[in-house]
Amino acid sequence: MLRMSQLSKAYRTEVVETFALRDFSIHVREGEFVAVTGPSGSGKTTFLSIAGLLEEFSGGEYQLDGVNVRGLNDNQRSRLRNEKIGFIFQAFNLIADLNVQDNIDVPLRYRGFDGAERRRRIAESLGRVGLSARGRHYPAELSGGQQQRVAIARALAGSPRLLLADEPTGNLDSQMARGVLDLLEELHRDGATIVMVTHDPELAVRAQREVHIVDGQVVDLAPQPRLVSSAAAHL
Amino acid sequence: MFTYYFSLALRSLRRNVVLTALMIAAIGVGIGASMTTLTVFRAMAGDPIPNKSRQLFAVQIDNWGPRQGVVIGDKDNLQEQISYPDAIGLMNARAAQRQSAMYATGFSLIPPNPELRPFVVHARAAYADFFPMFEVPFRYGGSWTAADDAGHADVVVIGRELNDKVFGGANSVGKTMNLDGHDYRVVGVLDRWQPTPKFYDLNNNKYGKSEEAFIPFTRAVEQQLGSWGNNNCGGDTIPAPGWEGRLHSECIWIQFWAELPAPADAARYRTFLNNYAAEQRRLGRFHWAPNTRIRNAREWLAYRQAVSTEVRILVLVSFSFLLVCLLNAMGLMLAKIMGRAVDIGVRRALGASRRAIFSQCLIEAGVVGFAGGLLGLGLTLLGLSGLRSLLSDDVNRLTHFSAIDVAIAITVSVVATTLAGLYPTWRAVQVQPAWQLKAQ
Amino acid sequence: MELRPILSAMRRNKVGAILIGVQMAITLAILCNALFIIEQRVALSKRPTGTDEANVFVIVNQWVGNPPDLAAKQQGDLAALRALPGVVDAVASNSFPLHNGGSTEGIKLTPDQKNESALTALYFSDEHGLNAFGLKLVAGRNFNADEVTVKMGYTDFGPPSTIIITRTLADKLFPGKSALGQSVYFEGLPKPVPIVGIVDKLQVPWTQAGGWGSKFNDNSTIMPFRFVETYTDYIVRVKPGQIAAVMKAAEKSLIDLDRARVLEKTQTLTEARAEAYQDDRGLAIILGVVCAALVAVTAFGIVGLTSYWVAQRRRQIGIRRALGATRQAIIRYFQTENFLIASAGAALGVAMALGLNLWMVTTFEMERLHTSYAVIGALIVLLLGQLAVLWPALRAASIPPALATRAV
Repeated sequence: MLRMSQLSKAYRTEVVETFALRDFSIHVREGEFVAVTGPSGSGKTTFLSIAGLLEEFSGGEYQLDGVNVRGLNDNQRSRLRNEKIGFIFQAFNLIADLNVQDNIDVPLRYRGFDGAERRRRIAESLGRVGLSARGRHYPAELSGGQQQRVAIARALAGSPRLLLADEPTGNLDSQMARGVLDLLEELHRDGATIVMVTHDPELAVRAQREVHIVDGQVVDLAPQPRLVSSAAAHL
Repeated sequence: MFTYYFSLALRSLRRNVVLTALMIAAIGVGIGASMTTLTVFRAMAGDPIPNKSRQLFAVQIDNWGPRQGVVIGDKDNLQEQISYPDAIGLMNARAAQRQSAMYATGFSLIPPNPELRPFVVHARAAYADFFPMFEVPFRYGGSWTAADDAGHADVVVIGRELNDKVFGGANSVGKTMNLDGHDYRVVGVLDRWQPTPKFYDLNNNKYGKSEEAFIPFTRAVEQQLGSWGNNNCGGDTIPAPGWEGRLHSECIWIQFWAELPAPADAARYRTFLNNYAAEQRRLGRFHWAPNTRIRNAREWLAYRQAVSTEVRILVLVSFSFLLVCLLNAMGLMLAKIMGRAVDIGVRRALGASRRAIFSQCLIEAGVVGFAGGLLGLGLTLLGLSGLRSLLSDDVNRLTHFSAIDVAIAITVSVVATTLAGLYPTWRAVQVQPAWQLKAQ
Repeated sequence: MELRPILSAMRRNKVGAILIGVQMAITLAILCNALFIIEQRVALSKRPTGTDEANVFVIVNQWVGNPPDLAAKQQGDLAALRALPGVVDAVASNSFPLHNGGSTEGIKLTPDQKNESALTALYFSDEHGLNAFGLKLVAGRNFNADEVTVKMGYTDFGPPSTIIITRTLADKLFPGKSALGQSVYFEGLPKPVPIVGIVDKLQVPWTQAGGWGSKFNDNSTIMPFRFVETYTDYIVRVKPGQIAAVMKAAEKSLIDLDRARVLEKTQTLTEARAEAYQDDRGLAIILGVVCAALVAVTAFGIVGLTSYWVAQRRRQIGIRRALGATRQAIIRYFQTENFLIASAGAALGVAMALGLNLWMVTTFEMERLHTSYAVIGALIVLLLGQLAVLWPALRAASIPPALATRAV
């Protein structure tokens, strides 16, 4: 599904060149639930941005669902992003001026579905996250957990091949966080491919396997989830 | 606290130079355009003789009777001038404290210096009361007397420019001036006098230069000096030929003004005038009910629509332009203030009251208004010089920019911009105290 | 296009949209009426006089004093003028087109008629008049020399023996039939006056918009009078290309003949036209400048406010991009938003334009606005909005999708 080979991302200032990702390789198969962990500044967010086609990379290769990403122009990347990826952000990133239904509608419009199809998908994904009754509410009227669930519904509505989650519970209290994780697990059970970036080891445990990034490079761990302290990250 | 807000305002304006410049430019251009046209409008609509405009009255008498068809004159069927019989009748009746019939005429003057070519002198035939009535200033000498009027004296009062041209600016009282081959004795020289408009005779060049020579009405009539102004023989009978025929006809070519200081005087005069018209009916000259009217100088100007259509249009357009500029500025102020929402929230968290935020924002608007007003002043001067080059000479007299106009410009600018800033200020005041802007 | 969400989002941020919309509406209202006025004034200033304008000049002559032999003096002047090389013909008259001073008279078809059938300007001229003015005779004939009588100033009310009128006046008085040979009556003159000639066009002397004569601008009557007065106008027609030289020579020859006169003004009809329509031209230019400024201010306002909205919605734009919006989609979003506001503004503006025009019709005696002006104005405003929003929209489109992943 998601294959990166020796990917590198460099930021060049006037004097120095820093690498956010260096010689980075990862292979996520269809149906996997992968947690990407690492200390802050390790490059997890950069990885997610690149994985989500939000940023370009400097070197290496990236194949998403069989499509070679290098060399795609901005419009092609937007299309790919729209069709294949569902985003779940830490900050929810709902549009405050639109109600719940219209928020979920946004990627569907760019997809080009007709009105009936869109309405069907919106209803379906809202039901999936248990918020059918809140269709006309505005984000400001919802709790944090509900907002995140709307974001998940938005991510699902387009039937994406891959779900990318960036600290999905970072802005939620423990109870809401649990609810969201339960939902993610449920989606995984139903066959979704999920890549979740998190710095919380308790979250990472819930995933199928863990990929640890330090200083822009992968330190691959064993398939069984294990609690690792950042001090003993290198192995 | 005002100085503190003032310095805050300056600092905030400096922080976003482009936005501030756009705001000031918008206001400046709007003020420039509207003040330019307002200056001309005020001059045109202004009171040419403010301390006396309510005491000087233009007299109208209907000597033609009711007419259908082509409407000449106003809806009330009155003309703007009167006939010779009525002029003499009213003068003889002496019903006002001061009064004068008058008409525009002119001469050619052959200068004593043979090198110079003859030139035209615009003149006015009037009675001695004309000068005190209209507060005409004298440089040398004075007006002629009522005896001169009765005696058809060969006297003339000349203007300052004519005196400069012919007598080198010296005191020429007592000297003779040859106008159209006839000698007149100079009894007075006027100082600079340019009523704008020439309200006593709006039919001839109302924004032009005032007359350069004044002679007694009786003399002019005796001399058979034709009117250089408007002459209308709209009556049912055609006049007999010649000058005598003109004098006895119902042609209207004379203006008549009366000075009536108190409202009681005016009321009494109205009664007199109606009685006069009734008398004319009794004598068989009029065949209709008395139709007369007196209007003071202000009413007269309004009645005669002293402000030209062009100027009215320009005033309307330029003030709409100002409105658009103010809306523009309001939008930019809104953008500016809401872009600083975080800053405001922090200030509130640090203890600033709603009133403090209100004052700060409003003073900012005032500062922008003041700066815009200054820019607008410069643009107004530019605009007035532009008008001068584009419009006819008469307008030049109207483009005089005085201290009052400066004050008006700045005041309008500050007040309008502050009003425009009320809504953005209100929005700023609504911002909740917070250490930082929450997500979304 | 996602109209409903755009509208929904706008409704939550009403004020800015209303500000832009109202600005555009006022701009449209002013623009329509100003352009209309400009067109009117320009058309006004181009009205043909009916004369051979390019080759005619006038000399305003004022005799000093009241010399007894005015008639002979005038004949002497005219002989001198007609003898000058390059002169086609010359005539003395009471007025000329573009002079803004002259005489008016009412014409009746029957002697006991209560009201005039038409108003006309009067031009006094001898049999040289048609040639000196350069008028085009379309029916009938010129005056004969024996029809011309002397009119001693304005107080001489002797009747004209015949008259020549303009085509417009002929159609007004005798619609559908020929005016030649018909007779008309002037106020106070009991005898009918026959019409012997019709000229194509001769404007009245007055040129002011909505002023005296504007309602009967092409009604003129030429009376066969040798007009003798201390103040007369000499009208001189020259061969093409010689007008400047002849003007100087004419002035000199008149002064040489007799110094006791004032040549108050010597100007070509072209110069007279510029002078007569100076205020109209000035108004048109000023209105044009104000219109341009209005458009500029509104454009800058749109740019400013839209840039602010882009800045305010930076994050939202990043999210949309992350969710799959292309750059074009973002640009189209802002263009659509602006189009909606502009349409509302244009609708309001058209209503305001028509209302404003109605008010001006009653207050200033103007004409009614053609609806084409409103349509053109609306199109200009819509186009203006789209152009102005382009820059902020392009800025918005360059907001990177990666913004969505950045922490707040």
